[in-house]
Amino acid sequence: MKTFWFVLTIIALIWYIFVTIFVSYKGVADIKGMLKRLSEQNKDKD
Amino acid sequence: MGNFNWLLDGSIVGVYLLLTMFAGLYVRKYVSKVDDFLVAGREMDVYLGIASLAATEFGIVTCMYTAQNGYKFGFAGATPGILMALAMLFVGLTGFVIKPLRDSGVVTIPQLIEKRFGPNIRWAAGVVIVLGGLLNMGVFLRIGGQFLVQVAGMNVGYLEITMTILLIGVAVYTILGGMLSVLITDFLQFIVMSFGLIAVTILILYTVGWDTLVATVETHHGAGGFNPFVHPEMGWQYVVFNGLLNLAAVLTWQTTIARVLAAKDSKTGQRIYTSTSFFFVCRFLIPGIWGIAALAVLGTSVPDSLDAMPMFLAKAVPMGLMGILIAAMLAADMSTDSSYMLTWASVIYNDILAPFRKGWSDKRGLLWNRFIVAGIGIFLLIYGLWFKLEGDLWTYLGLTGTIYLASISVLLVSACYWEKANSWGAVASIFVSAAIPLGFLIMEKIDVPSANKLAKDIGPYYSGIAAYICSALAMVVGSYLKPKGGLAE
Repeated sequence: MKTFWFVLTIIALIWYIFVTIFVSYKGVADIKGMLKRLSEQNKDKD
Repeated sequence: MGNFNWLLDGSIVGVYLLLTMFAGLYVRKYVSKVDDFLVAGREMDVYLGIASLAATEFGIVTCMYTAQNGYKFGFAGATPGILMALAMLFVGLTGFVIKPLRDSGVVTIPQLIEKRFGPNIRWAAGVVIVLGGLLNMGVFLRIGGQFLVQVAGMNVGYLEITMTILLIGVAVYTILGGMLSVLITDFLQFIVMSFGLIAVTILILYTVGWDTLVATVETHHGAGGFNPFVHPEMGWQYVVFNGLLNLAAVLTWQTTIARVLAAKDSKTGQRIYTSTSFFFVCRFLIPGIWGIAALAVLGTSVPDSLDAMPMFLAKAVPMGLMGILIAAMLAADMSTDSSYMLTWASVIYNDILAPFRKGWSDKRGLLWNRFIVAGIGIFLLIYGLWFKLEGDLWTYLGLTGTIYLASISVLLVSACYWEKANSWGAVASIFVSAAIPLGFLIMEKIDVPSANKLAKDIGPYYSGIAAYICSALAMVVGSYLKPKGGLAE
């Protein structure tokens, strides 16, 4: 069981570092896309 | 006094707060209708969804009780995180419940429930969800304040005023920008929070050491510190109860489901679940390690196990990193508070006020939503900060959570997959789900020795398992008892 928790901790840390960097990078594009679509919808409505 | 330096660490925290407020207020101009306010116009994509879900479901209160689990149970204390990750992965891969929920185009869970069980059950479900959710959230502010005051070494007398100012800041951008502000600030908060969590964990592993953590767990908990099935205070019933609790939470916890409903389609919602699932292992394991480190350094002399982790961090985290840690924890708390305020407001507006708001314009709807968020903020201040909680945090969260999780998950699964489910079954399920945990807690608290003994013999885990099983049985029995083609919904 000790090996299980050691491996899980290492995987959790590596996964978390990777996801933080990846999501930080890709999320910016998501935000830009979302705001652009909402802006277009609001213009159509006007 | 801890290692908090007002000039260096205070500046880091100040810059973070200014950036968040600016981002939250900037996007308010995109909000023109109720759908924009409540579900960001359903335009959220996968990566923003992952950041938002992770930030929302990790607050200071989460950090406190998961660290407490590490302190009290060792590595086995992270078991609920593993179970939640498995539940989320299963739901994400199969689309169980969340696919029909998102495809139906509803804004809240009770709205879907109405389609099967009628408007009265929708209203009742809305009341149960808001009651459970708000009472659950009621303690977040004080627990968050306790953490910050201890870690920063502030005067305890400043707890109320600090958290009041913080809540007002969060409320302002949530009221003006709704879900859009929540998503944008969640994104910033996810980055700051994750950076702080990772940096502090690496520091702890470097300074305390993995071997010391393992030896501490072995000394204080034995084999049970690594395996929940052999821990004297956990056992199979703890694992089964947490399995049911976490599956129900994944399916029905309104703040989690809100990300599926704001996703641009059901496939995006499923991808958000699948990709975020492993985060829930980190959510329990990382603060759990902080709790074990607190046990290694401070021992068992800490009067309240909930305080062990912040007491340890106040000494272990150096100047500079302390500012990042506090900014990270503020980020965690602010994202949780804003999402929770908005989510419960959405249920109040969408479901509880449903009978009264026919023909309302978007402008009027937006105004009402903003009033409701402000009202929830005031409730949190009065209930969560100025009212002192009696009893322990776990019991409180367990009570308020299980009251609605069992019945609403049964109602939701039945609404999606069981044709014979009807309003009688729904009423019976809601009643049983609330009666069992409440009955257990009353037996535990009242001044009757025989009732106290019975509650002790049953234990919270068996009681919790019974709530889920009996709630499902009540749905089946109630549905079959209703006369065919008889009474109207």
